[in-house]
Amino acid sequence: MSLTRRVFLRNSALAVVGTAALPAFLKRAAFGAEQATNAKRLVVIFQRGAADGLNIVVPHGEQAYYAMRPSINIPRNAVLDLDGFFGLHPAMSAFEPLWKQRHLAIVHAAGSPDPTRSHFDAQDFMESGTPGVKATDDGWLNRALHAAPADNSAFRAIALGPSLPRILSGSEPAVAMNNINDFGVGGRSPSAAPIANTFEAMYAHSVDSVLHGTGQETFEAVKMLKSADPSKYTPAPGADYPGGRFADSLKQLAQLIKANLGVQVAFADIGGWDHHVNEGSTQGQIANILREFSQSLAAFWTDLGDLAEDTVVVTMSEFGRTARENGNRGTDHGHANVMFVMGGPVKGGKVYGRWPGLDQSQLYEGRDLALTTDFRQVLGEAVYRHLGNHALDQVFPGFNNQPGDFLKFLG
Amino acid sequence: MWFGRRKLRLVLALSLLGSALSAQFALGKRKEKQTSAGQMDEQKRALHALNRLTFGPRPGDVERVKAMGVDQWIDQQLHPEKINDSPLDARLAPFRTLRMDTREIVENFPPPQLIKAVEQGKQSLPSDPVKRAVYQDQIERMQEKQDRKQEAANPDPATAADTSKKGKLTDEERARRREDRLYADLKAQDLLDMPPDERMKEILKMSPADRRALATSLKGTKRDEFLEGMTPQQRETLMALNNPQQVVAVELIQGKLLRASYSQRQLQEVMTDFWFNHFNVFIGKGADRYLITSYERDVIRPHAMGKFEDLLVATAQSPAMLFYLDNWLSVGPNSDVANGAPKNANKAWRKRYNQKNASTKQAKGKRSGLNENYGRELMELHTLGVNGGYTQNDVSEVARVFTGWTLKQPRQGGGFTFEDRMHEPGDKTVLGHRIKPGGEKEGLEVLHIFAHHPSTAKFVCTKLAMRFVSDNPPPALVDRMSQTFLKKDGDIREVLKIMFHSPEFWSADAYRAKVKTPLEFVVSALRASDADITDATPIARQLQALGMPLYGMQPPTGYSMKAEAWVNSSALLGRMNFALALTSGKMKGVQVASDRVLGASSPLPDPQQTLALLENNLLAGDVSRQTHDTIAAQLKDPKVSERRLDDPARPPNVAVISGLILGSPEFQRR
Repeated sequence: MSLTRRVFLRNSALAVVGTAALPAFLKRAAFGAEQATNAKRLVVIFQRGAADGLNIVVPHGEQAYYAMRPSINIPRNAVLDLDGFFGLHPAMSAFEPLWKQRHLAIVHAAGSPDPTRSHFDAQDFMESGTPGVKATDDGWLNRALHAAPADNSAFRAIALGPSLPRILSGSEPAVAMNNINDFGVGGRSPSAAPIANTFEAMYAHSVDSVLHGTGQETFEAVKMLKSADPSKYTPAPGADYPGGRFADSLKQLAQLIKANLGVQVAFADIGGWDHHVNEGSTQGQIANILREFSQSLAAFWTDLGDLAEDTVVVTMSEFGRTARENGNRGTDHGHANVMFVMGGPVKGGKVYGRWPGLDQSQLYEGRDLALTTDFRQVLGEAVYRHLGNHALDQVFPGFNNQPGDFLKFLG
Repeated sequence: MWFGRRKLRLVLALSLLGSALSAQFALGKRKEKQTSAGQMDEQKRALHALNRLTFGPRPGDVERVKAMGVDQWIDQQLHPEKINDSPLDARLAPFRTLRMDTREIVENFPPPQLIKAVEQGKQSLPSDPVKRAVYQDQIERMQEKQDRKQEAANPDPATAADTSKKGKLTDEERARRREDRLYADLKAQDLLDMPPDERMKEILKMSPADRRALATSLKGTKRDEFLEGMTPQQRETLMALNNPQQVVAVELIQGKLLRASYSQRQLQEVMTDFWFNHFNVFIGKGADRYLITSYERDVIRPHAMGKFEDLLVATAQSPAMLFYLDNWLSVGPNSDVANGAPKNANKAWRKRYNQKNASTKQAKGKRSGLNENYGRELMELHTLGVNGGYTQNDVSEVARVFTGWTLKQPRQGGGFTFEDRMHEPGDKTVLGHRIKPGGEKEGLEVLHIFAHHPSTAKFVCTKLAMRFVSDNPPPALVDRMSQTFLKKDGDIREVLKIMFHSPEFWSADAYRAKVKTPLEFVVSALRASDADITDATPIARQLQALGMPLYGMQPPTGYSMKAEAWVNSSALLGRMNFALALTSGKMKGVQVASDRVLGASSPLPDPQQTLALLENNLLAGDVSRQTHDTIAAQLKDPKVSERRLDDPARPPNVAVISGLILGSPEFQRR
């Protein structure tokens, strides 16, 4: 594998005629030393559409919660109690064992401090890692790899889905993969190989800087995937993935991790949280999506087996929803939200962060859960402690991320 | 497969030596490109205009535009009403829902709510035998579902031992279903032997349960065989028997792709696509499944090059948008509906009520009934832009203004109505303007303010320039467009004119500066290869795999027009595979004739000549040296002997060469 790749790189480097500077990708790969794969992995999950954190990790000890949500609250006797004050939505029973084994931690009243209630801007800020700054042109998860131990794997950074999300765009090569089974050119028949090779050469030689770089990364990934053949890694016994795209993404991610392809950071998302109308309570829209969400993640955890020991999963959503229900038994765009952290090194079984309360005077702008933990503090701890990248001022520029301020959910 | 510079030169020399006229042409173009940097010659101008104003040139288009004169052609595209589009109309003729109003669509292709109403006896079965069959089958389907649910909820204790925790079928049931299927298979075979008309009659005579079994037994090639020879309407009916709502979505998609591929009014289709994306609605949300047909046809397309305010008002009052952004449900916190006033409440009642309840108002207001979804997106995405200078308070005020803008029975296909009883009384303040109480007029006043706001002009013009010029359009151009927008009362055609005649539009920097979106890529490939589309649904599936399902963007932002959203590994491989599948005849529902792609009756014996001809036809001859050399070298490489293209016994493989060109870096740009 490595020999072929070196030959390929040398030749294609020569073929870039008239280009003074070699692309970073070639430089790194052609001159980089072979290194042992860094085993630590960070998986980031985005709940797109602004999940209703107050109906996910329910503050059932708050009288105000029930007063503000007469028709969509989760009754005290229905929540899966966590610590006498908070409880999980009953559709999330798949998370209970993880909580009890202390592999699952919760950070409540967390999120982006930017006041925007625009889905688009808020997602953008959480992916760029620079709330309020639109000019940032790369994503924090990509920057998180800058100083992490180098590895030439084309699968170092991977997004499951048809496009590369903002969070992973940047100078580190990253691969978007919709479906690992059709990640290649012309199918699996040997007769397709010459055509695939032609495309590869075409993109390798192209002077189109955008398409050239992506083309190189793509074909390298195709080759690695072919030799690793992840299709032989079927879900482990007991890894009960539900249906749907999200579960499918995680199932495929588990295959890539188990095939030892050198995945260091990975990203998957799940949409459908924007419940302005008929949100539901113990049943209904929110229950359905939470079931899918929690069962998928629990199955991923089981599927990884021992590899879960080196894996940390963090979830986030662009903002929370109004503390009060609106006139359509739904909720509108709000502010702070809840984040889950799951993994081998996680000190779970605890709700982290300061709870700001839900009394009128405690609400943000009189309507939303106030923010007490900046999402960058949570992610910073994962990047610093788990990925071993200590240059947090570069991963989250403009945010003073002191290790002493970490919530210490990682051992 | 790797070769050094020397070999490249050799290949170049060989291809020059053996070149036919067309090869010389193709290479000549490349040379020209180098000499005339900074401005475009007529050939390039024609190609550039076609790349930007259409979904991609079809064979011969560049020559046609050149012959007509580029400016004149642009002018013609700006006036679609003057362009005859009858060949397209003929292609759209089989799709009846495209011409139906929403009420007809709902009646002929009933949504679940309507089926339920009939099942519960609230509405009667239609008398027309075809419609009747559709309803009966859906009622049958609904009852099956309910039975299953009930069984799962209360398993019969006698059979509980046999059922697993997931509520699976009992052995007995499984046996019965197997028998049903077997019977349905036999029945399908019988039906196949009949002529199509008889087949249809026979199907309508069957019991709903039998028809359901037949429908589920028809899959894949068997289904295709079964549908063969049937008229479009008969096919439509068969599909409706199985899933009526699907008919509406499928025909919508057929319409979209056929128009993009074949309409002569290309700019109008490009602009319709642009505005649909700007005023995005999502087909997966409830009633929008059957509201989008009218939305695109009656709201977006007629206004695509008209006045922005007209377009804005039309979207604001469209059932599709009112439903998608929930405004139809928004209730004023102090409206009659919120106060529980009787329907015929008069002024005197209101006065009494207000006096009596003045003290308790505060508490009641907490369940306001206000829904901010539309108010926010109206400003952020439709008009002012996210930095357009509005506040959270403006969002709430705009939401109040639009209370009462609702729908009459949306699930039965009813249209827009203003419901005063839902409307929030009193003054509102929007962007510092005092909006006096005026019912429906308040909304129109606010839309007027937004439509003529400088922030809107800038936001809309930036997006237009992003679509037509570059991902980061020159600010000076956007400024001039914005000024025109404000001066000419938001006349979209005038703004387009300014842009199409600007030096920025024609600058060398703009040439092929845009990476195609999946839709642009797929349709441009269909157009370049002169493909004949008989069924567009497989193409729509490809678009979904490429990350751009038609009408399938859930958030209101619409799809990105920028390169970074679409250039990634998954997408590139998807594009290469689509290109190969299309040209090698592996795309279902689409025929690509190699002689049409080649523009010659028989393949030329020399692969290099064939390559030059295809480059000319598919990329207007403007192909990079790197791409040309790579393909040319492959045509000679002994390693590809399996597909040896210069085998004298076999003509060059037009399909493979075309696929390689459509998958090349330059074809990804426009």
